[in-house]
Amino acid sequence: MRNIFIIAKNTLKLEIRDKILYGIIVFGLLYVFFTLFLADLVLKEPTMVKAFGLTGIYFFNAIIALFLGTTSFFKDVDRKVVYFILSKPVSRAQFLLGKFFGLCMVLLLTSGILAVAYEGVVTYKLGMFDGIGLVAVAMQFLEMALFLAFAIFVSTFASSLLSIVYTSGVFFLGHIVSQLVIDAKAIGISGIRLWLVEILYYVFPNLEKFDARDFAIHAVAVPWASFSLAVAYAAAYIIFLLAAAVWIFNKKEI
Amino acid sequence: MVDFSHLTKAYKKKVVVDDFTLSVDVPIFGFLGQNGAGKTTIMKMIVGLLQPTSGTITIDGALSSHPIFKKKLGYMPETPYFYERMTGMEFLRFCDELFDNTNSGADPAARTSHYEEILKKVGIFAARNAEIRTYSKGMRQRLGFAQSLVNDPEYLFLDEPLDGLDPIGRREMKEVMLALKHEGRKIFLNTHILADVEEICDEVGIVHKGRLLYAGSVKAFCAGKPLEERFMEAVAEHESIALNAVPAHEIPAGHHQK
Repeated sequence: MRNIFIIAKNTLKLEIRDKILYGIIVFGLLYVFFTLFLADLVLKEPTMVKAFGLTGIYFFNAIIALFLGTTSFFKDVDRKVVYFILSKPVSRAQFLLGKFFGLCMVLLLTSGILAVAYEGVVTYKLGMFDGIGLVAVAMQFLEMALFLAFAIFVSTFASSLLSIVYTSGVFFLGHIVSQLVIDAKAIGISGIRLWLVEILYYVFPNLEKFDARDFAIHAVAVPWASFSLAVAYAAAYIIFLLAAAVWIFNKKEI
Repeated sequence: MVDFSHLTKAYKKKVVVDDFTLSVDVPIFGFLGQNGAGKTTIMKMIVGLLQPTSGTITIDGALSSHPIFKKKLGYMPETPYFYERMTGMEFLRFCDELFDNTNSGADPAARTSHYEEILKKVGIFAARNAEIRTYSKGMRQRLGFAQSLVNDPEYLFLDEPLDGLDPIGRREMKEVMLALKHEGRKIFLNTHILADVEEICDEVGIVHKGRLLYAGSVKAFCAGKPLEERFMEAVAEHESIALNAVPAHEIPAGHHQK
């Protein structure tokens, strides 16, 4: 555990020195502040500031997760920095888990910064603190952690560029699989075609489970069952992906 | 004592280390061989970065890749790569933190002065707070060497430690290695630079195409001839034996012996 923590702490320290990350956060903050005007411009509906704000946080965190997940672990292995680490009393599993938790800490930090900006904007515009919005951000964070685990898993056997392609593909499919099954049944698809769609549903994570933005926009509390299910779902997927990543990394010739 | 017993490493059908058996019990031992001879692969197997296809490496009777043994070793990889946005001092601290209880309970100020001592020893103390991305190639080599000393190792495995250093740097690093030898540490180094071997190694192992051609003192190996000449002879002898062992119909055109 100690080595995992040391590697995680080091990963956090290094990533927050990256100028690209600063650039993304600055754009994210500008966007969140810009929602003050965007909501007025589009629907003249003040609560839209929540919709645009939470979507913005989601979008910028997804970019950060994609950027970090597909490069950080891969670079350490590809540039052979791991030689220094793995020649010490550190197992490959500890290194991989340390990287994962370190990147999660970066995402937690960026989510926190953007959430503070969001709450500031909501308080200024609507005169209220949006607690449900924070729950929605927390659920988005779970999705991003899953996203990171998938990116690291792919990085154990593919290049950085391929990781971007695969991870983006899973991100896209993860958001449409549940609707795909519903639509397939609605238009009467059956037999092997429905079976194929259902395989997609079970193979790819259903990322819609982490979308609680509508609850925040309409000021309806997120049901405890939905939140608990999302946490359990993310934990199960992440454990599976990291276990598979460790298994592959242990066999890899570095 | 370090024992290699029938050590073999193959990538699919390509054998890069072939039935390597050797016992070493001298202060400074040098693996000498051409580029691609298998020296780096052997060193990576010693420190647990690669798993042998077959055979074992034991140090004082224990498997070298065992986590407990790793606390006693220092390793410097060939052409070291670092976290570019770290400073030299931060990198040493990070490496030290990975050595669990022996160092973690120590006084932080004492650890800091330990890092400073190491950096002074390898000659990059002045650059300790500069980011590694600003370091020259020679400074990176020195930092790679420095991190291998952070846990006061009993055994040091240095892969081409003098590569990229200027003549003064090479002299300084050799002096550091000799000082470590006098402190009682055992050093293994990989090199293809014959003069270094002749100067600092107590014994050498000549490695060619993954096989051990000779192990013993430099003096006995040279038998009055320059090391370079003897090295070339040993390689040529091995090539000739290998060629004669191949059935005539498998020898490529131009290689037939007359």
